[in-house]
Amino acid sequence: MGKQTTQTETVTSLEHLETVVDSDFHLSEQQDDFLSYLPSPFHDMLFHESRDIPMGYLKDFYPTAGLLTPVATGNVEMNKVRSQADIIEGKDLLNVDRAIVTPTLNLYLGGVHHDDLAAALAHAYNEWVLDEIYNPDEGIYGPVVVAPQKPQEAAAEIEDRAGEDGIVSVFIPSGGVHPPLGNEQYFPIYAAAENAGLPVQLHSASGTQMLSFPLQFHGSNRYLSNHAPTHAMVHMTHLTDMITRGVPVRFPDLDIVFQEAGLGWVPYMTRRLDNEYSEKRSDAPMLEKMPSEYVDDQFYFTSQPVEGAKDPDYIGPIVGLMGPDNLMFSSDYPHLDFDHSDYLFSALRSNFESSDVANVYGQTALEIYDF
Amino acid sequence: MTTTDDSPETESLHYVADVDEITDGDRVIVDVEGREIAVFNVDGAFHALSNYCIHQGGPACEGLISGSLEVDDEMELTYDSTNKVVSCPWHGWEFEIESGEHLAPTDYRLPTYRVVVQDGAVYLDSY
Repeated sequence: MGKQTTQTETVTSLEHLETVVDSDFHLSEQQDDFLSYLPSPFHDMLFHESRDIPMGYLKDFYPTAGLLTPVATGNVEMNKVRSQADIIEGKDLLNVDRAIVTPTLNLYLGGVHHDDLAAALAHAYNEWVLDEIYNPDEGIYGPVVVAPQKPQEAAAEIEDRAGEDGIVSVFIPSGGVHPPLGNEQYFPIYAAAENAGLPVQLHSASGTQMLSFPLQFHGSNRYLSNHAPTHAMVHMTHLTDMITRGVPVRFPDLDIVFQEAGLGWVPYMTRRLDNEYSEKRSDAPMLEKMPSEYVDDQFYFTSQPVEGAKDPDYIGPIVGLMGPDNLMFSSDYPHLDFDHSDYLFSALRSNFESSDVANVYGQTALEIYDF
Repeated sequence: MTTTDDSPETESLHYVADVDEITDGDRVIVDVEGREIAVFNVDGAFHALSNYCIHQGGPACEGLISGSLEVDDEMELTYDSTNKVVSCPWHGWEFEIESGEHLAPTDYRLPTYRVVVQDGAVYLDSY
């Protein structure tokens, strides 16, 4: 790690920084950009007139969940980024020196059903960006994009492209990739990246992820890899859907308790929801308050399994951010990951007023449950 | 808001456009002392907003002018087709043109400015 930190200086402007790198700056590539680079046999099969389909017929091969986005409704006007000039314009807008340029259409590459075609599309994309886009003299860099459907071809793609001007990384379009990326079938990709000295970037796409989300758990074949993310992921999904579809608006006297996912996901998710809701209000037009306010008023969370209880820098702030009035002690006894009642208590007592601790340990529960 | 003032302090007025140059549902953007201000015509009434988005500094008044998706008393979706909303083209934050208020229930709003219509022309009243 070549990080440099200066203890004595405060940065007051981006201008004072020697180099600003944007790690995720997207192209908005369309089929006409890279179609001509398709290798055989797909070039022979697919390189023909667009048949009057304005967005191009290639888009049909990238499955999406068909979500109605703010771009589709016209509320967001996404700038075209299909050339070096477009990138330079964006870099100037953002005041960045170097952009690591990533795909948009090809974020969906991980969901392409035809595995050989997926590998060919990755190949074509890489040919295009190396030929026309990446240019270190202009601060334009990017990854080797690989199709995880074909790990051996992906490894070859990495070996062929590493060392080319502008290549700084490997990019796996990770949305919808099944089985999950810890499976040994992907090891050739990691070996090739490691040998080339390139980091691996993972980037999801929600429209693709929705297609294989439940299936991925079939591929999560270790207890740890399943249990650690599952509780919070399931709750994030349900909490978000309940708010988006207006459950707390329709049932204003209903209290909802989410159990057994720990703490940190709550402040993360409420802030993420507020941030996104402002950009996508029409998906939840019945809301009369911000999502986080519904969470504050009607949603409660039980504590176990508490993460980071032994880290005072973490546990105090995180309980303060997610509650403490929305947090209720739970043990999960006798399950294998149960928390003794002293465990969270020791972490709270030095950080919170006694009334807050009393609420966490029973007073809130006395109000919520119908004792 | 639009006012028709018989004796405006003319030195504080900034000419924007002739009335017929800003058609219903349209806008013009002018520079007043280094600030970009958009003047909209909504159903014949003129409203002025700052063209600087309070979210991340995008050109808030240059985006889509539209109605808005709402719900009725039965929680069924309904579209209010009055073109009274402008969306910042960067992230899609929606603002009510008349008040400058962010449509999501927050305290955010774009600054508004007084508009004066006089002798067939539209002016911004700087204060």
